[in-house]
Amino acid sequence: MQLQDATRRRLEAIVDEIGHLLPAQGPIDVFVHHNTLHAFEHLPFEQAVVEAAALFGCEPFLDEERYRQELRGGRIDDDDVAAVLATDLGTAADEVVIGTLTRGELRRRILLAGIPARSGPDLRWTLEETDVLRRLRPDVPADWHAEPVLVLRNDDRAHAQARHVRALWDQCRAAIERVQSPPSPARAPATRLADALRHDLGVDIDAWVHPILVRTTSAFLDQGLADWTLPARDRGLLRCFLDLYAHPLTRHGSPIGRDLHDLLGAAIERVDADDPFATLHDCLTALDVPPPDWHPYLLAEALALRGFAGMVHQFERRPDRAPTTPVPARLVDFLAMRLLLVRAAVARVSRDAGLRGSAGELRRWLDANRVPPAPPSIDDRAWPLFHVAQLCGLGPEALGALPSERVRALQQELVDFDGIARRRLLHAAYERNLRHRFLDALSQHVPHRRPPAAYQAVFCIDDREESMRRHLEEVDPDVETFGIAGYFGVAMYYRGVGDARARPLCPVAIRPGHLVTETPTARADGLGGRWRRFRRSLERLVHDNVHVGGRRARVGAALFATIGLLWIVPLVVRVVFPWFRAGTSRLERRATGTGRLALERADFETTGADISDGFTVEQMADIVQGQLAPIGIADRLSPLVLLLGHGSAGLNNPHRSAYDCGACGGGHGGPNARAFAQMANHPGVRGQLRDRGLAIEPTTWFVGGERNTSSSAVTLFDLDLVPQAHRAVVERAQRSLEQARRLEAHERCRRFESAGTWLPPAVALMHVEARALDLAQPRPECGHATNALCVVGRRERTRGLFLDRRAFLVSYDPSVDTDGVRLAGLLRAVVPVVAGINLEYLFSYVDNLGYGAGTKLPHNVTGRVGVMDGAESDLRTGLPWQMVEIHEPVRLSLVVEAETRVVQRLLAGDETLRRLVEQRWLFLATLDPSSATVHAVDHEGAHPYLPKRPLSRVEGPSRTHYDGHRGHLPFVALGPTEEDAA
Amino acid sequence: MSSLLEVAVLVTCLAPVGLVIVLAVAAMLGNLLSERGVGVVTRLALITALAAAATAAIAFTVGPATPRLLRYGTWFGAGDTVFHFDVVVDSMSLSFAGLSLLVCNVVAAFSVRYLHREPGFDRYFLQMSLFVVGITFVALAGSVELLFVGWELIGISSALLVGFFHERAAPVRNAMHVFAVYRLGDAAMLSAAVLLHHWSGSGDLGALFSIGTIAPGLVDAHHVLVISLLLIVAVAAKSALWPLSGWLPRAMEGPTPSSAVYYGALSIHAGCFLLLRAQPFIAGSTVAIALVTAGGVITTAYGVIVGRVQTDIKSAIAYATLTQVGIIVVEIALGLRNLAMLHIAGHACFRLLQFLSAPNVLHDLHELDNRLDGRPARPTTEDTRPTGRTLYRLGLERGLADPLLEWAVVRPFRRVAARLDALDRRLVGERPRDGGP
Repeated sequence: MQLQDATRRRLEAIVDEIGHLLPAQGPIDVFVHHNTLHAFEHLPFEQAVVEAAALFGCEPFLDEERYRQELRGGRIDDDDVAAVLATDLGTAADEVVIGTLTRGELRRRILLAGIPARSGPDLRWTLEETDVLRRLRPDVPADWHAEPVLVLRNDDRAHAQARHVRALWDQCRAAIERVQSPPSPARAPATRLADALRHDLGVDIDAWVHPILVRTTSAFLDQGLADWTLPARDRGLLRCFLDLYAHPLTRHGSPIGRDLHDLLGAAIERVDADDPFATLHDCLTALDVPPPDWHPYLLAEALALRGFAGMVHQFERRPDRAPTTPVPARLVDFLAMRLLLVRAAVARVSRDAGLRGSAGELRRWLDANRVPPAPPSIDDRAWPLFHVAQLCGLGPEALGALPSERVRALQQELVDFDGIARRRLLHAAYERNLRHRFLDALSQHVPHRRPPAAYQAVFCIDDREESMRRHLEEVDPDVETFGIAGYFGVAMYYRGVGDARARPLCPVAIRPGHLVTETPTARADGLGGRWRRFRRSLERLVHDNVHVGGRRARVGAALFATIGLLWIVPLVVRVVFPWFRAGTSRLERRATGTGRLALERADFETTGADISDGFTVEQMADIVQGQLAPIGIADRLSPLVLLLGHGSAGLNNPHRSAYDCGACGGGHGGPNARAFAQMANHPGVRGQLRDRGLAIEPTTWFVGGERNTSSSAVTLFDLDLVPQAHRAVVERAQRSLEQARRLEAHERCRRFESAGTWLPPAVALMHVEARALDLAQPRPECGHATNALCVVGRRERTRGLFLDRRAFLVSYDPSVDTDGVRLAGLLRAVVPVVAGINLEYLFSYVDNLGYGAGTKLPHNVTGRVGVMDGAESDLRTGLPWQMVEIHEPVRLSLVVEAETRVVQRLLAGDETLRRLVEQRWLFLATLDPSSATVHAVDHEGAHPYLPKRPLSRVEGPSRTHYDGHRGHLPFVALGPTEEDAA
Repeated sequence: MSSLLEVAVLVTCLAPVGLVIVLAVAAMLGNLLSERGVGVVTRLALITALAAAATAAIAFTVGPATPRLLRYGTWFGAGDTVFHFDVVVDSMSLSFAGLSLLVCNVVAAFSVRYLHREPGFDRYFLQMSLFVVGITFVALAGSVELLFVGWELIGISSALLVGFFHERAAPVRNAMHVFAVYRLGDAAMLSAAVLLHHWSGSGDLGALFSIGTIAPGLVDAHHVLVISLLLIVAVAAKSALWPLSGWLPRAMEGPTPSSAVYYGALSIHAGCFLLLRAQPFIAGSTVAIALVTAGGVITTAYGVIVGRVQTDIKSAIAYATLTQVGIIVVEIALGLRNLAMLHIAGHACFRLLQFLSAPNVLHDLHELDNRLDGRPARPTTEDTRPTGRTLYRLGLERGLADPLLEWAVVRPFRRVAARLDALDRRLVGERPRDGGP
C-alpha cells in the first residue's frame, strides 16, 4: 500500500516538530552551550519551565526546602518575598481571606514557613511518630500566634499546648468533613502504551526495546571508536537495522526476539521497506494510535530515549559537525526503528496476557482492569488546613466556627497557591536578591579615572577572566583591560602545525569563510622539525602496538607477558604523583606549535570558493576596525596591546570542550588572538585603517596570547617578532601576568575544597597546575559555575569592584557610539552566547538528573559522540554535577551602559533580544553613561532603580576580601577611594 | 627469619581487616570520619599492608624459600572436623598478594580524589576495603574455608559497587545480574570446598595446591574430576569465561575506578589465579584440562569478536581484557605457570591504567589523529559479506551470552523450582497459587 501524500506530509511535519524539542547537543568533543529550553523561548520563562518540566518529566525550580534554607541563611530576605508577592498578586493581595488576614499576608506566611508535603503512609507516620500533634510548629514566629501564651516552655503549659494542638487537629478534620471533597483531578491517560504497562502491570517494555535501540544507534553513529564498522551505513539507520535484525539469530537474542523476528521478516519483504514514513504509518496503525494522537505519541516515544534521538537529529541537521565521518542519520529512521521494536514488545505482552488481538485490545484490557487511585483521605485533606491554622494563629474554636464556604474558599486558596506557585515566587525572590545586590554595587561604585595606560590587555568576555583582569590591575595599576568576545572577530577554520584537521574557531552561528594554517618556520623545519618527525614515528609505533595493540589478542599477549609489568611505572606516576607530569608537559609544549600563521591571501581576487585561504588586507582591516572601534580604545592605543584568548586543559574529562571558549565554538582562542595581533601589526592593514581615520601609530605593537583557564598558564605568541623598542614593556607585561596568574589561581583555590584556604599563592598555583594534569580529577576548574551577571560598558564602571568571578565583562564605550549602532551589533553577537551559557548552567543545576548529565563517575564515552551511564543507558546531555556543583541557578542580569532610550529603541529592532527580555529569560538594566542612574527595562518599560544597601569598601587588594572564605562573597569596592589615593 | 615472615604475613592479612572494622564502625556510629579521615585511614592501612607484603616477600626469598603453610590458629571445630586459619606462603601467593595490594593502593589514591564530595564516598571505601580483604585472602588462603570467605567478599563487594548508584534502576538491575552469576560460581565453589573437606578429611589447600603431601582420600580420579569441574565453574563465573561472560558489560555501571580495579585488574584475574594454583591438581584429569583449554580458546575468540564491535570505551576495554584472560587460561592449561603469572601481573597493570584513563579517550583519539597527520587513527574494517554481517551481529548482541545462560541455566532452574514448589504444596495439602511468575 502506497502512503498517501497528505499522510506523508503530515508525518514529515510531525517529525520536524519533534526534532525541535530534542536536546540540541551535538557530538561532545565540540561542546556548545545553549539554552536547554531553547524550544520554549517564545513563552514567558515561568510558564516555559513548568510546561517543559511536565513534558520532560523534570523539575521546574529547586526544591521548596532548598529555598527555605536560603531564607534561613539570609540569601533571600523578607523584603524580597514581600516584593515578589506584591508584584505577583497586584490588587488581589489586599482581599481578606480568613479572620483579618489578607491574601498577601497568608501567602507571605506560607512562603516563609512552608507547609510540609505529606500524604498517605508518610502522613500517618508523621502524625503517629512525631510531635506535630503535641506542639505548635516551633518555626512559626510568636507574633503570628493568636495566643502567645502557648509557646512558653513550661510543663503545665506543654500539656495545655498539647491539648490545644490536638483540638486544633480535630477541628481541622471536622471542618474538612463538613465540606465535600473537591473532585480529584483525573490522571491523564498515558500517551505511551509502555507507560500504561509499567504503571498497571509493572512490565517495563522499554527495558526490552532500549538495549537494541541503544546498541544499533551507537553502532550507526560511531565515529571510530569500534574496530569494526556497522556494514553499509550509507543506506541509513532503518535499512541497517532491518538487515541486522531480520536474521534467524534475532529469535534468541532478546525477550522480544521471537516477535521481532516475525515482524521484521514481514517488514523487509515489503516493497516500501526502506521508506521510514511508510513503516511509521504502518506501526502507528498497528499500535492503534488514532491520527489526532500521532504527534503526542511520537513525541513521547522520541523523548523516552531523547539523548540518542537528539544526537541522530543533530547528525541530520549539521553533518558538518560530525567529528570524523558524517553518516546519513535521519530522525524518522530512528522513530520507525523504535516503533518496530515497540510493536514487537507489545505483541509479546499481549501474548503473555493471553490476548490474541491488537495493541488497541491490550489498551482496552488495561483500562478495564485498572484500579482507580484512592481519593485523598480526611487526614490528607486536613493536613494543609492544620498548618494554615497555625500560620494564621487560628485556635480550635475559631476553626470550629468557620462556615463551610469559608473552609472551601480557604482550600481553594491553597489549590491556587500550590507547590509550583510557591517555588516560582521563591525562585523570583532568590534571583531578585542577587540582582539587587549587584545593581546596588554597580550604581554606587565611583568610576576611577586613570592616566594613559602603560599597556593594554584585551581578554575574552568570559566570567573567568573577571578575576584575572582584577588581579592584573591590582598588580600593575598602570594597565588598562578590556573584554571582547574571545574570537576577536576572526572567524576562521584553523589548522595548527600539529593538527590533523582544520576546525572552526568562531561562534557556532557563524560558518567561517577563511582557512588559516600555521606553517612550520625555518627553525621548525630544522632541528625542531626533525625532532617532531622522530616523535611522530615513535608515537606511531607506540600507538599501533600499545593503544590499539593493547586491545588486540596477539599483540596484547606478547606485550603483557613480557614487558607488561613496566606499566607499574606510568601507573604509579600518573595516578599517585600527577604533578610529576607538570614538568614533562612543559617540555612537550616547547617542542610543538612554533610555526607562523599564513594569514594574508596571496591573490587578491575572489576565487568564488566558499572557503578561501587567509584574508585580504581589506578584510583584515575590517576585522581590526570592527573590534577596536566599539571599545573606545582606538584613540588612545598604548605602546603594547595584549590580546589573550583562552582555553582549558584537563585530562580524563569528556566534557573538556565545555570549559573552552564559547565564542570560539568550544575551541581555544589563542590562534584567534594571535591572528588578530598579526593583522593589527600588518603595515598594509595599518595603512588602510589610517585612510579610514583609525590611526595606529608605529609606537604601538600588538601581541597575541592564550590563557589556560585551568592551569592559569599564559603563553604569548610571536615574541621574536616584537621590535626592540617594545621589548621592555613586553617584559613588564609578562612579569605582571606571571604575578597576576598566581593570585588568580589563589583566588580560584578558595572554591576547591581539596585545596586548603591557607595555601600561599605560589603553592596555589602548583595546585591548579597539578589539577589540570590529574587523571583522577573530576573538577579541573570551576568553569562558568556561579555566572550570573553581565556588564556591557566601560571598565571604569566596574574596575575596583569585586564581582567574584560571576560577571561577563563586555567592553563598550557609549561615548563613541551615540546612535547605538555598534551596541546593536555587539548585543546581537554577545547576548545569545552569554545567555546560553547562563541558562544551560541554570537548568543543569535545577534538575541535574533530568536536564543535566548527572554525576561524572559512571560516565562512559560512546562512539566519540557522547557519554552514557554504564554500558547501555541513554546519552547524557547537559552538564555533569561536578561542573555545576557550586552554581547558583539565577537568570542573567544584563546591565548595559547606555541611555535607556537607546537601549529601548534597539530592543524594538532586535527580535531575539526582545524575546529574551520580554519573556524574562534574562533581566536587562541600563546604567546611565554620565550618571549613576540605573533603570530596569522589561516588557512594560523602564523603571528607575533605587539602591537599597550601601556599597561596602574593603581596604586592600582582592585577597583581603576573599581570603579564608569558601562560599559566594558580597560585591564590594576594593582599595582606597579616589580621594584617598589622591 | 621465619618469625618475621609470620608476622609480616599476618599484618598483610589483618591490616585490611582492621580497615574494614574502622570504616564500618565509623559508618555505623554515624559518619564519625570526615571524607579526609576516610582517605587517610584507607591509605594508611593499605600502605601498611603493602609494606608488610613486601617484607614478607623479602623474608621469604632470603629464607629457605620453600612453599609452606602457616597456621595461625583454629577457627572452630566439631568432632574430627576442624577449621584452621591457614595461610599458604610461596612465591606465587606472595607475588599475587603484593600485586593486588599495589593495585589497591593506586586505586585508593585515585578514588580519594575522583569521588571527592560524592554522596556515597564512605560507602565506596567501605565496600572497596571489603574487596581488599577478599583479594588478600584469596591470594594467601591456605585453607579452603578462608579461600571461600575471600571469594565471597570479592563477589559481594563487586555486586555492591556495580549497584553503587542505586537511585537509578539500571545499576541495581545489573548488579543483581552480576550477583546472580557470581552465586552460580559460589555454589560450585562451596560444593568443591565441602567435597574436598569430605574426601581429604581436612580443609587444608595443600592437596589442591600441591604443597606437601597429597591427602590419601584424593587419589581417586573421579574425585579429582568432580572437584576440578566445580572449580572450573567457579573460575568461569569470576573471570567471565565463556559462556558466563554476559555480566561483564553490565558491570560497567559503577564508578570508573571500581570498574578498573575489578574488571580491568584484579577480580577478573582472581579466577585465573585460582586456576593457576589448582593447575597441578586439575592436570590430574585429562577431561578437566581439555575443558579448561577449550574454555580459554573460546573466550579469546569471543572477546575478539565482541570487543571489536563495541562502540563504548568501557565495554571495548572490558572485552579486550577478556581476550587476554582467555589467553592466560590457555597458558595455564598448557602448564606454563610462570608465564601465566607474569602475564596476569603485566596485564593487570596495563589494563588498570587504560581503564582509569578511559574518560580521556576523546582526547587521546584526537591527539592520535593529530600525530598521525589525519590518517585514520584506527583502521576500521567494514565487512558486508553475509558471514561478516553475522559476526558483526553476534558481536553487537554480545555473543548472545545472556540468552544462552537464560536458556541453559535460568529456565531449567526455574522449571525445577516451580515443580518442587508444586510438589511441596501438594504434599502440604495447599492449593497451588493462581498465576505465578
